[in-house]
Amino acid sequence: MLKKIPKWNLVLFLILIAEMIIFGLMNPRFWNINVLLNSFNDFIGIAIIAFFVTFVIITGGIDISGGAIIGLTSVVVGILSQVAGLNIWVAVFLAIVVGGLCGLLNGILIAYAKVQAMVITLGGMLLYSGVALVLVGVSGASTYEGISGFSQGFINLANGKLFGIPHSVFIFFALLLFAYILLHRTRYGRYIYLTGINQNSAEYSGIDTRKIITSTYVLSGLSAGVAGVILTSYLGSARADFGAEYLMPILTAVVLGGTLITGGKGGVIGTALASIIVGFLKLGLQMGGIQTQYIGLATGLLLIISVAFLGVPEFKSNVKRLVTIKKDRGGKLNA
Amino acid sequence: MSRLISLAKHREIRTVIFLILLFLIVGIVNPDFVTVANIENAVKNSLLYIVLAAGITFVLLTGEIDISVGGILGLSAAVSGMFLRDGGSIFLAILIAIVIGGVIGLINGLGVTKLRISSFIMTLGMLEIARVVQVIYTNGKWVENLPKTFKEISQSSILGINTLGVIVIIAVILIHFFLVNSRKGRYFAAIGDNQDGAVLIGIPVKRYKVFAFVISGICAAVAGLIFASQIGFISTTAGIGIEMTVIAAAVLGGVSLSGGIGSVIGASVGAIIMSSINSALVFLKVPAFWNSAISGLLLILIVVADVLIVRRANKKANKERLNARVLNYQEGA
Repeated sequence: MLKKIPKWNLVLFLILIAEMIIFGLMNPRFWNINVLLNSFNDFIGIAIIAFFVTFVIITGGIDISGGAIIGLTSVVVGILSQVAGLNIWVAVFLAIVVGGLCGLLNGILIAYAKVQAMVITLGGMLLYSGVALVLVGVSGASTYEGISGFSQGFINLANGKLFGIPHSVFIFFALLLFAYILLHRTRYGRYIYLTGINQNSAEYSGIDTRKIITSTYVLSGLSAGVAGVILTSYLGSARADFGAEYLMPILTAVVLGGTLITGGKGGVIGTALASIIVGFLKLGLQMGGIQTQYIGLATGLLLIISVAFLGVPEFKSNVKRLVTIKKDRGGKLNA
Repeated sequence: MSRLISLAKHREIRTVIFLILLFLIVGIVNPDFVTVANIENAVKNSLLYIVLAAGITFVLLTGEIDISVGGILGLSAAVSGMFLRDGGSIFLAILIAIVIGGVIGLINGLGVTKLRISSFIMTLGMLEIARVVQVIYTNGKWVENLPKTFKEISQSSILGINTLGVIVIIAVILIHFFLVNSRKGRYFAAIGDNQDGAVLIGIPVKRYKVFAFVISGICAAVAGLIFASQIGFISTTAGIGIEMTVIAAAVLGGVSLSGGIGSVIGASVGAIIMSSINSALVFLKVPAFWNSAISGLLLILIVVADVLIVRRANKKANKERLNARVLNYQEGA
């Protein structure tokens, strides 16, 4: 049974346990299950996007526009429901659709026009956060206070509890299950891996890789839309700068989760564990009395160290390759 | 090959044409925009971006990416700013900034080449670390009260033109000649164009990648000094998000993120475009909240249009070549 679990996920699980023990010893309040469950609210947005950015990175692309889409969907929810007076759930639905459309734009330009993913999502990041600012500016809402006054039903979406467990925990596991089944249990998921491992061979075996790649960006955009809605509900106001600092934690979660940044390898379970590790790390350091602004140091180091550590086998094989090439070359190359 | 060179030339010319069009169109709506004073102002405002873009071009040419420049800018500006505020000499302050930028660049470079960390991840982590170190070093406070002599550096002028502007423009031209004409300068583009090939012809790939990151770090530190001198104080958020603008500027100027293609002059023109958009909007009386949306839209439009143009040109060239071959064959028979 144990053999079936990928090694890295086991390591992540052990890190999580170790983290809980260490922070618990620093501050026993950390062991309170309610505190831990409530902390899901703080990183749920990161985790949701990270699940589907994992898809994108497995295909060999990258999506850095997620944080901007959060701000845009948050503003769309706010304006449609508070300024235009639409029903809040219709507004939520439309906002998630907007997130999906942003992803679709990214995906089409990347897969069909074959522009680099980094360039398009960088432009997308500027564009979507810019459109959010424009919407706020045109609607005349205050940039700093944001749009507030949401109905209690909407606020409860993220703040409510079921059987004493916050909704965000359920949302986390529901989306994790969805992403897991989609990536690891369906033919579509296998196609994503194959596209990432070798796009040409995937193309030759009859897979429409462009469609597959586009669909991963759409999923990533939709998930950012969901995250934007949840964040708006959790904080009770809609602002254009929500999610502006999410780029780094999202990528940390994906990369620490064991997904190769070059594509072809990875999984959502690792991403989920890594996002919990990063979330608890933040919580634990805060409870340990460390100021919020210093926490970036820990996550930054975690990001670099985890990638360096994961890269070691690749590093070894590269050394081996270089050595064998030298042997084959003989001594005449310099002549 | 000559066709490739002409294509690359076209790309920079296209960027310059776009810049001229931008000034002309805004100038038609509001003639004040194309006065000498305003153009000089536009260059002055973009100095910071030009320096950053020139540095990052080295890294982009080798096929890597550096997004830690905003962090390096803030950290080096804050450290040397505090040194200046406490009565340190300007020369030493500049040296300190350059050392900080160089060391962070060195760490980036070693992480990418020795530990084989993806450069995007490595520099993203370094961006965050540099920011936190800046906050710790300054205790989260703004660095204010910089000495007047230091602030005057950015205001002084030679023959009526801003001194820093002259220095930066001359430096960019010199760097361009280094990258295009000298043997070692061409290594950078060679590495990005074909890394395995570069290894085979004996280019020390890893060393030059480290050089690229160090140069980018030093440029970011110099940009930090320019920032401190121009603004006169350093906030804890100095240079936040600037890395994305700079990468966008370089891409606008024709530098390819996959490496091997681009020039510092193109990147500098891109930097002027990116920073002129803001002031152009002011002259067009468009509210400031449109800035980011318009920059993003322009970036996407220009890059996509460019890719499509180049692809069509390549296809046409291939077709012509094939046709010529077929005709030759028929004549031969």
